Amino acid sequence: MSAVNGGGTLRQERFVARYQDEWREFEDWLQQRGELPQARWSGRPWTGLRDEDVPLRYRRICQHLALARRRGYSPSVTNRLQDLMQRGHNVLYRAPAARLRPVVDFVLNRFPRLVRAHRGYMLASLLLFVVPLVVTYVLSLERPDMVYTLMDPAQVANVERMYNPADHGHYEMRAAGTNVRMFGYYIMNNISIGFRTFASGIFLAIGTVFALVFNGLFAGTIAGHLQQIGSGATFWPFVVGHSAPELSAIVIAGGAGLRIGMAVVAPWRRRRVDALIAAGLDGARLSMGFFAMLIVAALIEAFWSSNGAIPPTVKFAVGALLWILVLAWLLLGGRGGATRAD
Amino acid sequence: MLDTVREIHTPEGVALRLPAAGPVPRALAWLLDASIRFGGVMLAGILLGVLGATGSGVWLVLLFVITWGYPILFEVLWHGQTPGKRALGLKVVAADGAPVGWMASITRNLLRVADGLPLFYAFGLLSCLVDPWNRRLGDLAASTLVIHVVPTNAIAALTVQGIATPLWPMQPGEQEAVIAFAERLPQLGAERQQELADIAQPLTGERGPLGVVRLAGIANWLLGR
Repeated sequence: MSAVNGGGTLRQERFVARYQDEWREFEDWLQQRGELPQARWSGRPWTGLRDEDVPLRYRRICQHLALARRRGYSPSVTNRLQDLMQRGHNVLYRAPAARLRPVVDFVLNRFPRLVRAHRGYMLASLLLFVVPLVVTYVLSLERPDMVYTLMDPAQVANVERMYNPADHGHYEMRAAGTNVRMFGYYIMNNISIGFRTFASGIFLAIGTVFALVFNGLFAGTIAGHLQQIGSGATFWPFVVGHSAPELSAIVIAGGAGLRIGMAVVAPWRRRRVDALIAAGLDGARLSMGFFAMLIVAALIEAFWSSNGAIPPTVKFAVGALLWILVLAWLLLGGRGGATRAD
Repeated sequence: MLDTVREIHTPEGVALRLPAAGPVPRALAWLLDASIRFGGVMLAGILLGVLGATGSGVWLVLLFVITWGYPILFEVLWHGQTPGKRALGLKVVAADGAPVGWMASITRNLLRVADGLPLFYAFGLLSCLVDPWNRRLGDLAASTLVIHVVPTNAIAALTVQGIATPLWPMQPGEQEAVIAFAERLPQLGAERQQELADIAQPLTGERGPLGVVRLAGIANWLLGR
């Protein structure tokens, strides 16, 4: 059938004349209702196309589009129908609006489940972080000059000054305004590190491995060095409070990064791109989780850890309690709940 | 075809056409966004500077939100467009043409870091050039696509009256081309009209201005006027 526009089929102008009222009704509905937030139109009188007729009308317009394409109608008609169809598709197939309950469900149930579902990656991430940490900690206790192989003397002097037991006033007794500034700094710095640790995993996990080992090396070296020079009494009470959410968040960020990297290296029985999409989705969810954990960590670090008026015993007790809470949340959260992970 | 249009088959059995955007408009959109973000950060720095240490804390939080949250919030809450993308007529959509969701936007924008490596979006550009739909690494992992927003014009009224019949039977593709020619006629200069109409000389049997009128007449005939 080559006589597409002629012969027995409906010619373009008559096709448009016959159906354009239906198209206009649908377009009005999209403009007045479908594409606006519900609060803008619910309760208002509406005399146009009824909501319950919309899917049927949408399918009809899809059929008109298919007919228009098949019959070779001009772009002005097919483009208009294409536009209506695209907009209808967007309204009918859009993701449901975010609500509060799924957020609570995510925090309490789905996120811990997601972490446990990736326990292999989390364990690998933990080892990549903790082994260098412990090794360099022990090494710096044994060999005091080791710190200078990783950091330059100015940085070392800066860290030593921050935790000097004789003069810890400038970090512990600081004004409330400084607390807010440090909070902003921790948010910008620590969460960016977490996000980069995750994102750099897409390069065959190499970036994530590097970030985890590097952070472990630094943390271990500094802790060992401060302990060795006798600043432990100011250093440990400072870090113990926020250590639970912060260190576990780093490990989770690493686990998410390893996951996305391994999806590229070994996609198993999926196409590489499909494995990547699945890992990217899980990675985004894990990122939202460790993002929240790092905000909590930054709050504790800025407003609790820095408070010199709180005795170290209280800080250790709270730190231990937070470790128990975080581990219990991650290991037990969402077990046996009614809603299963999707 | 040297075309970057991606066709998605919907449950209703019609194809959704998504024209993928290439690296150049996307880079321009990014530059525009970068200057907006830089300007915002600078302005906030000046305003919050008066508040001392508290102000700088708030500024750092704002810096964080603008660095990481700006593209995510705009893409999800503003029809898949950041201000830069809007200015360049671009839009982020899911691979099936649906609006981009939170998780997909978070994935593609966190992985921006990876696309930015080692310098100046080199990996992103490489991925863009290799992929048939110009997706960068973040788009691949999030299953999203950056497309051109095609403006839809109202159905144009044909300007030339009169009907002519073609000398030869026409193929469907030829018919579409002739109708599209007639609809674009008002936007074309007289010389360009004749140049195009001359190509169809075997069909109209005329050249020059008369060929243009003839060809538009054939379009009228095809449209059933």
